[in-house]
Amino acid sequence: MTTDAEPRVGATNPAAASTDTAHPAGTDVRLAASHVSLAYANARVVHDLSLEVPPGAFTAIVGPNGCGKSTLLRALARLHKPQVGTVTLDGADIHTLHTRDVAREVGLLPQSPHAPAGITVRDLIARGRTPHLGPFSAWSQADADAVAEAIAATGLAGLAERSVDSLSGGQRQRAWIALALAQQTGMLLLDEPTTFLDIAHQYEVLDLVHRLAQTGRTVVAVLHDLAQAARYADHVVLMSAGLVVAAGPPAEVLTAGRVGAAFGLRVTIVPDPVTGTPLIVPTSAPGGADLTPNDPLERTR
Amino acid sequence: MRGAVTRGGGARPIQRGTRRRLHRATLTALVLSAVLLASVVTSLAVGQVDLPLPQVLKAAVGVPSDGADFIVGQLRAPRAYTAALVGALLGVAGALLQSVARNPLASPDLLGVTAGGSAAAVASIALTRSVDSFSIAPWAVAGSLATAALITVLGWRGGIQPMRMVLAGIGVGFVATSITTYMLTKLPERVVGSAYLWTVGSTNARVWRHVVVAAIAAAVVVPIAAWYQRRLRVMEMGDDMAAALGVNVVRVRVGAVAVSGVAAGLATAVTGPIGFVALVAPAIARTLSGRGGIVVGASALMGACVTSVADLIAREALAPTQLPIGLLTAAIGAPYLLVLLARMRN
Repeated sequence: MTTDAEPRVGATNPAAASTDTAHPAGTDVRLAASHVSLAYANARVVHDLSLEVPPGAFTAIVGPNGCGKSTLLRALARLHKPQVGTVTLDGADIHTLHTRDVAREVGLLPQSPHAPAGITVRDLIARGRTPHLGPFSAWSQADADAVAEAIAATGLAGLAERSVDSLSGGQRQRAWIALALAQQTGMLLLDEPTTFLDIAHQYEVLDLVHRLAQTGRTVVAVLHDLAQAARYADHVVLMSAGLVVAAGPPAEVLTAGRVGAAFGLRVTIVPDPVTGTPLIVPTSAPGGADLTPNDPLERTR
Repeated sequence: MRGAVTRGGGARPIQRGTRRRLHRATLTALVLSAVLLASVVTSLAVGQVDLPLPQVLKAAVGVPSDGADFIVGQLRAPRAYTAALVGALLGVAGALLQSVARNPLASPDLLGVTAGGSAAAVASIALTRSVDSFSIAPWAVAGSLATAALITVLGWRGGIQPMRMVLAGIGVGFVATSITTYMLTKLPERVVGSAYLWTVGSTNARVWRHVVVAAIAAAVVVPIAAWYQRRLRVMEMGDDMAAALGVNVVRVRVGAVAVSGVAAGLATAVTGPIGFVALVAPAIARTLSGRGGIVVGASALMGACVTSVADLIAREALAPTQLPIGLLTAAIGAPYLLVLLARMRN
């Protein structure tokens, strides 16, 4: 595992960012971004960002709205072409690779995917085999096995013949993750997989994703909940205004100072009573007004 | 399926479910084929002169049989086969466009694609003064293709917006129809009659030339559409999801719209614009097959069934008066459209 020589923007402890002991020895970084700038139309969203995705670990990308985290994830997934810089997969510029070859290595669950009306869970998951099938390829035993494994891994065995429309939010999200699993990729990118889910379903999905990372898959997820990122991720990348503020183990990245600066409100960090991971508690409203203990919702401007 | 996967504990029910669903799609195709066959044979046997079935079947395959040859071979067969083949082309054209637009309203006839084909056909008559259908056909195809491209571009905003596309299509359809009507008023009398036929869908007076064109068209279009089917199904889940699964979204989209335009154009070139088949057939085929996505084969079969049955009724319901086939397809299509719109409002 080579130490990253170039300093990360804003990181106060570069050494911590690169010595990640969560992954098995001898695994190399496969997916990386090098000095990428990303823009929509002509508005630059991400500036000169460099990042290596730690293999075999769960990386969470967090940051305020508009900081560019989803854009970064999409760039890593080959959906967004950098204006400047390159995203590399196994050393090659990801945009020089055929989209189908990339789809065999990198799986993506985008925000708000759309399930065709009336499709069954099994048929949806089967779509994950697309990168391995040509237009007229026959469905093979390997494909059937991949789908069956994906169904088992996500605990959807009893729901396989149901229509996706009839599932709950958490079950539907698990079906989408199963689709990505059926792809049999070494890397899985998830764009806000817990949005629109209630708290029970959120943790259901996070538990599943965490389990997947523990089996050796490289997982990168954009999460909006800092406490969830702290609780489940091995590696956290905190972004703000298109830059990486810090990257490393959750406890080191999510400090009161950094989170406060990135999100624009004063916070205090307390250890989660169950897991001991950082729990972010705001002490002031955005804009600087103090939150009083009696009326936490009252804002004095 | 042998070699059952034992993980997960639910292996047996899973395998049974797969077989049941595979059977549903296959069953649908078989039933539709049977219905189509029955409809075509009935079209051959029934008419002003009802012919006994054995004679009809012999004449249909070219075995000489007294009496039936002319009626079946020269009059009824070309018409029946043309109707079925054009229906298949329209079914496929509709299926492709509806899949690309992710919207059941996106159909070549509703979106002015066939109107564009008619306009181009009439324009070619206006320019060349020739009513030879073989030389007009390429114009019809080009017109449909150009219209399909136009509405895709107009309906684009960072991706195909179905409602934009539908509105653009309705607008373009009106414009095309107005241009056609204007050109008809300017044509010399001797060609106006033939030119008018290009704006009205009709299976009447079809000859073997039409069957050949339609058959070649179907033989080319259907396999190409089938080639796109898997990737189109994936694109129905969203552009991001499709790209993540290795589909070249832009290429498939352009290709599918082009094939749809060509199919609609060829159908228009053979029978003039027959409405509603491209709208109705793919949606019903989709529901019957239960595969949760575009089904090219079933759409072609369903389209052929609809047109074939409509043609039979148009010919025989008020015999010897011929009803325009567009009337029959509208009788099926309009209620369907209303149901669809009502359901969309929920």
